[in-house]
Amino acid sequence: MTVLETKRLAGPADLEQWRGDLRQAAGRITKRVRICLGPGCVAKGAAALYDRFREAVEKSGADVEIQTKCVGCHGLCACGPIVIVEPGEIFYQQVEEPDVAEIFRETVLSGRLVERLLYQHPVTGQKVKTADEIPFYQSQRRIALAGNGFLDPVMLEDYLRIGGYTALAKALTGMTPEEVLLTVEKSGLRGRGGGGFPTGRKWRSCREAHGQPKYVICNGDEGDPGAFMDRVVMEGNPHAVLEGMILGAYAIGSHDGYIYVRNEYPLSVERLKHAIVQARDAGLLGRNILGTDFSFDIRINRGGGAFVCGESTALMASLEGRPGEPRAKYVHTVEHGLWDKPSNLNNVETWANVPAIINNGAAWFAAIGTAKSKGTKVFSLVGEVVNTGLIEVPMGMTLRQIIFDLGGGVKGGRAFKAVQTGGPSGGCIPARYLDAPVDFDELTKLGSMMGSGGMIVMSEDTCMVNIARYFTHFLMDESCGKCTPCREGLAQMLAILDRITHGDGRPGDVEKLETMAGILEGAALCALGKTAANPVMSTIRYFRAEYDAHILQQRCPAKQCRGLFRYQISVEKCKACGLCRKHCPVEAIAGAKKTPHVIDQQKCTRCGMCLEKCPFDAVLKV
Amino acid sequence: MPTVTIDNIAVEVEQESTILQAARQAGVWIPTLCYHPAVPPAANCRLCLVELDRGNWKQLVTACNYPVRRDITVSVSSEAAVKARRGVMELLLARAPENAQLKALAKRMGVEGTPWPTVTKTQRDCILCGLCTAVCDEVMGRAAIGVAGRGQNRAISAPFRQPAENCLGCGACAAVCPVGTIQIRIHEKEGEIEISPFKTRAKLLKCEQCGAQVVSVAVTEEALKRGKMDWAKFRQLVRLCPKCRQKRAAADLSTVATLASQIGYLAPPRAAAKTKTARRPRAAKSRKK
Repeated sequence: MTVLETKRLAGPADLEQWRGDLRQAAGRITKRVRICLGPGCVAKGAAALYDRFREAVEKSGADVEIQTKCVGCHGLCACGPIVIVEPGEIFYQQVEEPDVAEIFRETVLSGRLVERLLYQHPVTGQKVKTADEIPFYQSQRRIALAGNGFLDPVMLEDYLRIGGYTALAKALTGMTPEEVLLTVEKSGLRGRGGGGFPTGRKWRSCREAHGQPKYVICNGDEGDPGAFMDRVVMEGNPHAVLEGMILGAYAIGSHDGYIYVRNEYPLSVERLKHAIVQARDAGLLGRNILGTDFSFDIRINRGGGAFVCGESTALMASLEGRPGEPRAKYVHTVEHGLWDKPSNLNNVETWANVPAIINNGAAWFAAIGTAKSKGTKVFSLVGEVVNTGLIEVPMGMTLRQIIFDLGGGVKGGRAFKAVQTGGPSGGCIPARYLDAPVDFDELTKLGSMMGSGGMIVMSEDTCMVNIARYFTHFLMDESCGKCTPCREGLAQMLAILDRITHGDGRPGDVEKLETMAGILEGAALCALGKTAANPVMSTIRYFRAEYDAHILQQRCPAKQCRGLFRYQISVEKCKACGLCRKHCPVEAIAGAKKTPHVIDQQKCTRCGMCLEKCPFDAVLKV
Repeated sequence: MPTVTIDNIAVEVEQESTILQAARQAGVWIPTLCYHPAVPPAANCRLCLVELDRGNWKQLVTACNYPVRRDITVSVSSEAAVKARRGVMELLLARAPENAQLKALAKRMGVEGTPWPTVTKTQRDCILCGLCTAVCDEVMGRAAIGVAGRGQNRAISAPFRQPAENCLGCGACAAVCPVGTIQIRIHEKEGEIEISPFKTRAKLLKCEQCGAQVVSVAVTEEALKRGKMDWAKFRQLVRLCPKCRQKRAAADLSTVATLASQIGYLAPPRAAAKTKTARRPRAAKSRKK
């Protein structure tokens, strides 16, 4: 990847000149191949595709310049690796190395389509050419993810080409800090990390707090299982985060910024570092930004390696070099935060929204979304859904639209059971609330929360008690252990859930879980502890029958908990091959040649070996 | 000065004092475990929860560190507050069911026994209040012990679970431990003091007068350093055990009394003289002359 020399910009006019030059230069190139190097696509081998395309370009000696570009996550990870060919924005999916030669020859050089690699519309069955024709993308409104898929994250030039740093120039030379702050306040932007606190209000409190220096911090500690929204923004469009932070610092009156990136995201750290160096070289960061007298610089810190470090006070403790443990928030961090100074902490996605708000105005942003939740939200749609990946949609879209229209419904045609939202602090929402609009307040009313945007889709094969157990175990592992209720309470809850999922539940267990939830909510020190019982409570609320079946009948209705369901051989499907009988460790299967085999339920230890060995799918879970 | 109305008793307190301080002023008892006046409140045991009236809702807050900045109304005996504190104590009792101090505190709170089984392992009933590490770090300035591990594996230990090199053997940790986890063991024969369970040992000082081993050499040296004085008398006193020190001081005082009565000047008896002598030697010096 060649990186062009960055020139230091003397001011906004310089910036616009450079932008114009870049656009002109890009306009002269008509043929371009964009290869997605987002996490999902890379996992499926996309990096090799990039190399093959590069080779093809070099070898071809074509008389038209061809550019190969590594771009950030487009979002439709289920169809990765994704390759887009210009002109025409031809959208190829599930591309493998042997396909490269064909794509290059047919599409890049000759403008013909490779039909088999096009996306097939789920309803019409037709092959479609561009992303605009794919339902997954059609309902999306991309603000934080606007640049992903179009720019190379290691090229500042690409960010400038699509309009990057326009907001910064506009703010620094045409707006006062108060005007910038007012714009963000009026836009209604709320924190995207889970808390949903009005961003403008937080900025104002920090601006008005006493003390210098003031710090502006980006929370890149994304820790919810299944969440990768922030990762994709940091890796796919790092300059958007930087620009947002510089704008925030200008509004608040801060000159020192920190980005706290979780240690498990080394590529995010690398991309952000690279972006910072480029921005500094260009005079867009550091001393006298764009020739004005505003100076602001950013440092990157790697995380302490714990989920709890995403909590704001724990994050700041970790930044100071202390163990990442939360403290009471009776004194707010906007007044006494990092090094006891006024500190403004916002999530990656929150920062990424700011440049667009300054560019297009508060009214533009406030026109998107619902009354109390403005703008869009990035969701990670994972689990048993067809179109796994990332989406960005206006607030207020319903769960049904997200999971079925965009998401393509439940995988394998199984029945939808629940969707878990908000990560370990959230809860499970059952089918009867699928028409609930998704925003900060609606999901909270249902006993869950929107959180940072994780959505785990579950089918009829998922045991909800086991889901509660999974999240409780996660939280117990990640608890810092400082306060009694979280440390002891989660251990108690896990002990109960372990017993229940192993068939050792007792009447009164559910009530004990409910009691513990009450203790946690009232007595825990930080939000991790206070919301730790949400997964358990929401599953008790909507799936009580499953708990009762486990406890009173030692039965798992979803047939997931080992030992809590039976195996039965289907008379119609059994071909009497005898494999199950041979492999049964306790000789519980009886049957002769040509007779459907039968499992003796008294002897059966429910090990599942028969189901594993049967080549005819004749062993059923009942 | 803001007013705190706590269980219907109104007290005026200094700005930024805590609800706990207000409660003590008002004579209202709130149970605490991880609170100690010598160190800043950590609020991690969660035992001192009280209910703060926020107008349209009520919030449970920890009394030991909630700063009073305006007039507030607090309830210690509301149902929610009592229930929350009971819940916390029951969890602690599940953790250390046989601990005498914990059971005594529970009894005073009106909590007998716990509905929860023991599911966590402790280091000799340690409830992880953190007072030991706080005094060692902030009062003694040594930080010989600290917190290791997270969550279920959280434990108080010396670095790398080895005997800490900079432990003074002062026993401050044992003095503040509310549940008796930390024990001081005097090994007479080896002339060492051990802080159990950290396996740290320090050499004991032998009293020049009577040979008693009461304090460690390191503490004595530290006291001399902190005292920052060359006063020979102090150096002498520091090498005596408390009993011998008292005898020596009494002997000195009787000399003064005799002298004073001889010249017709009798200073009134000052029972606090002994401690004052140790802390403000200059004043004592001038009194003697």
